[in-house]
Amino acid sequence: MFTKSLVKGLTKFSFAELFIPLVVVASSSLWLSGRSTSLLLFIKFTLCYLMMVLSLQVFVGNSGVLSFGHGSFAMVGAFVSGLATAPLMIKQNAMALSNLWQPLVDFKLNLGMSLLASAFAGGVFAAFTGGFLMRLNGLAAGIATFALLGITYNILFNNNHVGPSNQALPGVSQFSNLTLPLVLVLLAMIMVYFYNLSRAGRTLRATREDNLASRGLGINIIRVRWMSFTFSGVLAGLAGAMYAHVGGAVQVQDYYLGFTFYTLAMLIVGGSASLWGAVLGTVVVSGVSQILLMWEQSSPVFGITIHLPIGTRAIVIAGMLVVILLWRPNGISNGSEIKLPNFLRKIKAS
Amino acid sequence: MQILEIEGLNSGYGKVDVLLNISFTMKVGQCFGIVGPNGVGKSTLLQTIAGAIKPKSGSIKLLGNEISGKNPEDIVRSGLALVPEGRQIFSGLTVMENLQLGLTGRVDKKTSHQAVEQVAELFPVITTHSKQQAGLLSGGQQQQLAIARALITDPKVLLLDEPSLGLAPNIINDLFSNLSRILEAGTTLLIVEQRANLITKFADEILVMRDGLIQARLNKIDAQDENKLKEAYFGAGVKK
Amino acid sequence: MIQTILNALSLGGTYALASLGLGLVFGVMRLVNFAYSELITIAAYTLVMTSQMPIIVGFLLSVVVTSIAAVLMELLVYRRLRGVAPAIMLVASFGLSKLLQQVYELCFGALPRSASIAPWMSGELKFSGVSITNTSLITALLTIVLLLVMRFLLNKTSFGIQLKAASADFRTARLLGVRANHLITLSFAMSGVLAAFVGAILVVGNPQVEPMFGMNMTILALVGIVIGGISSLPGSALGGFIVGVILSLLNTWLGNGRVYSYSWLFAVVFIILLVRPGGLLSKGQEMERV
Repeated sequence: MFTKSLVKGLTKFSFAELFIPLVVVASSSLWLSGRSTSLLLFIKFTLCYLMMVLSLQVFVGNSGVLSFGHGSFAMVGAFVSGLATAPLMIKQNAMALSNLWQPLVDFKLNLGMSLLASAFAGGVFAAFTGGFLMRLNGLAAGIATFALLGITYNILFNNNHVGPSNQALPGVSQFSNLTLPLVLVLLAMIMVYFYNLSRAGRTLRATREDNLASRGLGINIIRVRWMSFTFSGVLAGLAGAMYAHVGGAVQVQDYYLGFTFYTLAMLIVGGSASLWGAVLGTVVVSGVSQILLMWEQSSPVFGITIHLPIGTRAIVIAGMLVVILLWRPNGISNGSEIKLPNFLRKIKAS
Repeated sequence: MQILEIEGLNSGYGKVDVLLNISFTMKVGQCFGIVGPNGVGKSTLLQTIAGAIKPKSGSIKLLGNEISGKNPEDIVRSGLALVPEGRQIFSGLTVMENLQLGLTGRVDKKTSHQAVEQVAELFPVITTHSKQQAGLLSGGQQQQLAIARALITDPKVLLLDEPSLGLAPNIINDLFSNLSRILEAGTTLLIVEQRANLITKFADEILVMRDGLIQARLNKIDAQDENKLKEAYFGAGVKK
Repeated sequence: MIQTILNALSLGGTYALASLGLGLVFGVMRLVNFAYSELITIAAYTLVMTSQMPIIVGFLLSVVVTSIAAVLMELLVYRRLRGVAPAIMLVASFGLSKLLQQVYELCFGALPRSASIAPWMSGELKFSGVSITNTSLITALLTIVLLLVMRFLLNKTSFGIQLKAASADFRTARLLGVRANHLITLSFAMSGVLAAFVGAILVVGNPQVEPMFGMNMTILALVGIVIGGISSLPGSALGGFIVGVILSLLNTWLGNGRVYSYSWLFAVVFIILLVRPGGLLSKGQEMERV
């Protein structure tokens, strides 16, 4: 087909582009998590966010269509994983779950299987809704994804047959250490990188550059978008489940507007067009957020303590998003994958 | 008297240079035609002069005043208007509303009323269809409206981008007879036109553009000599 | 029955005003301004803070504060983002919205601020056995008047014609002399004035103002402009009106099921968008120019 030659050469595999982000994520996670239990928890949450940002990068970054709806896949993933791993005792006795649908009471999986199930659920939900959503373009698509988030939230928040409604579901099994979440994120990064490189990914980016021209070349925009939406739904479902397994509880509010804003901010700050952008955005936003949190609590960061009033963190994060967009609309990475510094490239060449 | 002086003009989109070192000057009441193959930068030149595209370097002087780099809304107020390619009338607005928009760019508001009457005399469509949605007009009527709307800003220099595009031959004749009346009234005209045979008869001088450069300048007599025009158009060495 | 219709009309009218406020700005710069929500909120805060003063003074103050806030938004943030992809502007406005919410929380606290505003509006009117609330009657009348005023401004004034032209094709409008900066600033100011009215209507019905006060309204008004047709101002108003009416009717009819009225509303939105992706008032299926 024509499409191959259209975007050929746009990206080709480079070891550094994949390897550097992997090393950055793995080494900083391992190094920081060993320093204190609160940092370990912070790293675990950051890995969940990174998974979610990767999911957004797959779809938003490649298609150029903004999605506010991925929070709903995370919600579904979290509910599946939460209900699968919460002990029977809790499901039968918690007030919030007194109306829970019987098959869900009996639904029981181990941690690993529950993660798989939530990824599957996220993917199926995305595939189903994507069948409708992918027909839309531009602002209509953005608003329709918002509507999807609204519907999912509205139902899960109010219906106590499918979950704890507006209460928290406690007792969800937790990751015993960093290994599983870290491995999952690293695997997801590899998959996302190769997806971005793949013909499907390149074709989707071609539709982003020029909708009409790519249609003229015979690209079925709806289908390539739908595939990417489904894949990103899998990752979002997984991200939601991981979040539940880190916190040990599921509450639908955790995946609503705040979550959507926070993860989209990470993607945009880093630069939505590349894997490196997703990683960079997550690291920078979470890092700044954690430092400010520690200063709000008057604890030292690398030996420096600044006493900040409570609430500074949220203002700075939102302000940072606005300022970075003013300064660099394509994000810190400016839309490209990481390049080896010049001196290293020379060494490699010689 | 020099009315439009363009000196070393460079322009383009992003990193792409479209115009390279364009220079020419026009005297009051002259009409220049610009011809050249598609994509050589003819429209970019007009858009840059009118301020819709910011030039990268060079100077554009209107009656001795520098206008390069100014906003289009200020340039139209200093007396230079563009009738863009494809006419770009506002199809959702009525004919009269389209005309009123042109009045926003007019400095002398006191004579607005007379101005409307004047252009209506030249272009009867304004009176006959004044309340009609502009999108419902025929191509020729839309072109009349587009020119009327630019004229009402009271320009000393009027730029027209492919005015004959998509019009039937008899309508094109009307168009050029209107243009000659505008010219007689003292307005300086700079016209981009694909149909070389039309413009060579009409303009005082022809600028032949290629690859962002002015390849050749021909006076009226040379321009009507088919061989000379072809040579300028396709470069030397092309023989019939 | 009359009460139901009046409620639907007044809610529809309120949403139509909000959608129009968003649509004005979208038209001139293709910006979906999420931070419109914070304009509604600041209007409501101003009214609560000035509840000791006569209502008219408080309201005029809130109009001034809100339109200044809207113009500042444009000058400080959106002006610098002109020409950037609409998706990026949308995210930036999302960020600005969150930022202002946090600032409000810092200034006014996270808990609702309340005050009794225009208590005379909560009374009832009785006509031969039928009783209707003052609020719904006044709101319905007020929104109808305002919509007529807006209609006049857009169709009969030079500003309105310039605005419509700029919404359709900004570049050509500028070539004719439409001053881009003036027009955009003025649109923001006007959108601020509309937000002040919306804020006032909301706060009379529910005088519990917290940092996210305007959020729901804004999201649904956005939904309104999308289903009405983003490229047309009458479409925006119509879409907002439809959203308000549907919501009001759902709230009446669903009884205990009203907690799901948003889901039903969004489902209707889905269907409308699938059938007419450009919105109800769009002429066929046009690709977005952006």
